[in-house]
Amino acid sequence: MEEKRTIDDKINEFDEIVDLIQEDTNIENSLEKYKKATKLAKEIKVDLDKLKNEVEVVDKDFSKE
Amino acid sequence: MENKFSVSEFVAYCNQTLEYAYSGCVIEGEVSEYKESQGKWVFFSLKDEESSVQCFMPIWNLRIPIEDGMKIIVRGTPKLTKWGKFSITITQIQPVGKGNIKKSFELLKAKLTKEGLFNPAKKRPIPNNLTKIGVISSTQAAGYADFIKIINERWGGLKITVCHTQVQGLSAPDQIIRALKYLNEHGEVETIAIIRGGGSADDLACFNDEKLVRAIASSKIPVITGIGHEVDESLSDLAADKIASTPSNAAQFLTRDKKAEVKRLKDSVDFCRDYVKNLIGFQIENLSSNLDGIKHEILTKISDIEKEIDQKLKLLEALNPERFLDRGYAILSGEVKLGGEIKIMTKSQKIRAKIIEIEDKE
Repeated sequence: MEEKRTIDDKINEFDEIVDLIQEDTNIENSLEKYKKATKLAKEIKVDLDKLKNEVEVVDKDFSKE
Repeated sequence: MENKFSVSEFVAYCNQTLEYAYSGCVIEGEVSEYKESQGKWVFFSLKDEESSVQCFMPIWNLRIPIEDGMKIIVRGTPKLTKWGKFSITITQIQPVGKGNIKKSFELLKAKLTKEGLFNPAKKRPIPNNLTKIGVISSTQAAGYADFIKIINERWGGLKITVCHTQVQGLSAPDQIIRALKYLNEHGEVETIAIIRGGGSADDLACFNDEKLVRAIASSKIPVITGIGHEVDESLSDLAADKIASTPSNAAQFLTRDKKAEVKRLKDSVDFCRDYVKNLIGFQIENLSSNLDGIKHEILTKISDIEKEIDQKLKLLEALNPERFLDRGYAILSGEVKLGGEIKIMTKSQKIRAKIIEIEDKE
């Protein structure tokens, strides 16, 4: 089963593609990278809109030792 | 018969009553006759216009510097000594009023600076791209609400562990110290944010408590403070690894901005698209330049062939018999024998002639 990737995993992959495309002089390869980057950017945006923070208040009375 | 006490029993009974009725009472007054004894004890009187009461505390429990004339709030328990003297055993002290707070602040700052507690070289960076944040604050405080609101607006997927403590008053320093200890031992967080909104100098005085300042400086997990407004500076701030000017500023510092990230992604995608577009354009230009070369080569070849044909035509023309006739020569045809008939062609005439003599040339 594929491990669920975090938003940071996706952002890192995106940045890597953008870095690599600049070294690619092959049209087909760079077009493939462009398509991949576009798809990832859409996924990340959806994730960012969807992700909520989890706030947990510790169940402990700090007024006591 | 009425109950009788021995003196010791009476003192013990009084202390029991005092402790039951006034344990942890809070008193405000001015310090006078302050003295330290054997480096272990602190004695002073707390007075107002009409009354005065003796105070006592172990020196290790003195968490802010005090001196005569300073107005303070103390928490303590009244006690009758076996010599019949009445005094308050102090557990907590806080200066009162802007001037006293400032004075106490400067004295402690000088002491802790000398110890190197605020040394910038000791500051640790707050990690980037945090996923787990510990927060120490009062969950009822406006500053806390701002902090959480801004974090939620900016980024998602964070786990925020909150320790609810008082953030003002005499009890606040100990509660914050316990929360720091808890997060260091059990919180599994990457950074700890101590958050408190704006308030008066008295409200924020608890952040100048020596034990709290030392606890912040010795936290294993990097600490960021977002206490008060931009103009407020506490010793807790100076001990922290990072000072944010306000709770909102701390939230901004700790989280990435969703909107900025989406814009960055869009700009990068645009960059990739332009790159591919330019690459295609470059290759078309390259191809077109190659075609021009081929075209030029073909045209040169054709021109060479044309020149060759021209030369050959000129040669043919030069060998054309008609050209000899132009120059006055004639062409003879027929069998050469005496009495034979031959045909003579000049430029303008065709002649039939008979051979009347044949002579060999020498």
